[in-house]
Amino acid sequence: MKHPVIDPEKDYYGVLEIPIDADEERIKRAYRQQARRHHPDSGSGDVAAFRLVQEAYDILRDTVLRQAYDRQRTARGLTERGPLQWTFTLSRLHLEALDSPQLLYVLIDIRASKEKEPQASRLPLNLALVIDRSNSMRGVRMENVKLAALDMLEYLAPQDRLAVVAFSDRAEVFAPSTLATDRATLRSAITALTPGGGTEINQGLLKGLDEIRNHHSPNHISHIFLLTDGRTYGDEEKVLDVAEEAYTQGIGISALGIGEDWNDLLLDEAARRGGGFCKYIESPSQVRQILRDHIHGLSDVVAQDLSLSVQLADDSRIQSFHRIMPHMEHLGAHTARPYLLGPLQAEKGLSLLMELIVKQAEPGWKRVARFDLSSKLLKTAQPLQLHRDVELRFVRELDEQPQVSSRLLNYLSRLSIFRLQERAWLALEAGETNQATSLLQAAATRLFDMGYRDLAQAAMLEAGRVSQGGPPTMLGRKKLRYGTRSLTLPTK
Amino acid sequence: MVEKSSNKVICPSCGAENLPGTLFCVQCGTYLPSGGPLRTEPLTEQAERRQSEDEQLGAGTANGKAVSIEVDILNTGRKVLLSAEWEILVGRLDAAHGVFPELDLTADGGLEHGVSRRHARIYNREGACFVEDLDSTNGTFLNGERLTSYLPFKFQDGDVLSMGTMQLKVHIYTGKQ
Repeated sequence: MKHPVIDPEKDYYGVLEIPIDADEERIKRAYRQQARRHHPDSGSGDVAAFRLVQEAYDILRDTVLRQAYDRQRTARGLTERGPLQWTFTLSRLHLEALDSPQLLYVLIDIRASKEKEPQASRLPLNLALVIDRSNSMRGVRMENVKLAALDMLEYLAPQDRLAVVAFSDRAEVFAPSTLATDRATLRSAITALTPGGGTEINQGLLKGLDEIRNHHSPNHISHIFLLTDGRTYGDEEKVLDVAEEAYTQGIGISALGIGEDWNDLLLDEAARRGGGFCKYIESPSQVRQILRDHIHGLSDVVAQDLSLSVQLADDSRIQSFHRIMPHMEHLGAHTARPYLLGPLQAEKGLSLLMELIVKQAEPGWKRVARFDLSSKLLKTAQPLQLHRDVELRFVRELDEQPQVSSRLLNYLSRLSIFRLQERAWLALEAGETNQATSLLQAAATRLFDMGYRDLAQAAMLEAGRVSQGGPPTMLGRKKLRYGTRSLTLPTK
Repeated sequence: MVEKSSNKVICPSCGAENLPGTLFCVQCGTYLPSGGPLRTEPLTEQAERRQSEDEQLGAGTANGKAVSIEVDILNTGRKVLLSAEWEILVGRLDAAHGVFPELDLTADGGLEHGVSRRHARIYNREGACFVEDLDSTNGTFLNGERLTSYLPFKFQDGDVLSMGTMQLKVHIYTGKQ
């Protein structure tokens, strides 16, 4: 046989109409399909096209040639992919054809293409600090919040804006949205904060939103940071409405809960709807660092309004769907409406993990799901669409144990702990004390094994209380909920 | 042991029934495949599969250049091609402790050669490759020199890394030809 000629200028993947990560089977199938279409004997025959299909297949079916081709393409800069990429990692590519349902794990990694230009060209930030100044904030909490806010002035860029709103029973604007260069105004507003009164989160958020809205444009990254240590009563629904309204206007909301008394379920939900995050601040001295990290994260945002729709084959079903990175979060298990995933940070990326139940009794290929991702790129406000089919091959008998990706296993081992404790709180709410106890105990065991001693002890303690019929401590619950959701972050 | 009865996977730890294909028990979070034989497939095949897995993940990119690292395990002759898009943990698989290394040296006699579970990590920054010892018991060596733990060291194509007495020759492939 003649030595095959690789022509890196030709797009073999495009010729076969397959993604660049297609596996052998997929390539073979695509080849048959395209060959049939272009075969000179068929009605739509075309000799040149047929030869090209043959050439593409000859290269791509051979692992060594294919790799050489891929490298040549990369070297010539011909694999220039779009600004967003996503990769799918499945727990198995081949499944046994069974008449009963089976589980498939789908790991989705969404990444921005690394840019050559330094990040000096980031968009200006348009921020509002909405600070709880109720009575309970008095003392070390308020002092630390002030320090964190003053610290912000040090690292905001000249074109960034900041508004300072404080609320107790009612909300007040301490500093209207001001350019970061006007430090004197901001500094005196921050130092003037004094505690007193109750906690009306909704009022504060509305004022914060008002301030920030005036300066919002697609060329700004607008975000509200809520700092609170207490519960809001009676306006929970309104808080969620404000978060949703802000999100639709392209303004994000994040919450930092200090101490143990704030309503974690409400603020989690508000942050989720607001496309932000919710963070538990155990000790007031952490406020500064956490705020710093998250403002850094904001300036690293490359795309926003990520929205993912899922379509399933008739007998496929989502068992669970979680965000894995930047932090773990339950996303629900529905297909009726898209999953709103918020912004994408260049450094951290976004990883999602779906447990998909699939069923197929007959051997053969099957498309079990289709994913559609839409997003807006920040710099150009250009909309972006990606779609991907997940296809599986069902076989009579599996001849080997599948080799599962290590990343998938690592994520799953952490996710399983996060889920154990989340289910424990749900069980508790439903009055299933025994179930909650055993879930917390299981979480404690797994945490001990993996060396997370603090969290393990917290889980043990709560399991003990719950088994005695007592309520869990607010502190323990927050420690576990916010501690386990960060388990997928790289350890320092 | 994990047993198959009516296709369900029974958790060895809590007895819960899981759907076939489940990797971590839904009830108690136990790693299910650990009840059965662990990665006993022939070495060459494993390497091949690693390779295809990496292609499937998409090659690593740094400044638009694909980076992959081929590790030649000199003790056993096994070769593994890894994408450097994500950090590569080198060590020994231990499901109970939640350690699933990208480069698992268990089958190469990692334990006998003094490889720790979390021995070292290899990663790519701005096109350069770094190795960092994770405070392993027997240390990581770069061309014979012991590395200070938790300090990243740059390595070049063709360098030899030692983990305990395990010798790994590394080849770096970038998009550049």
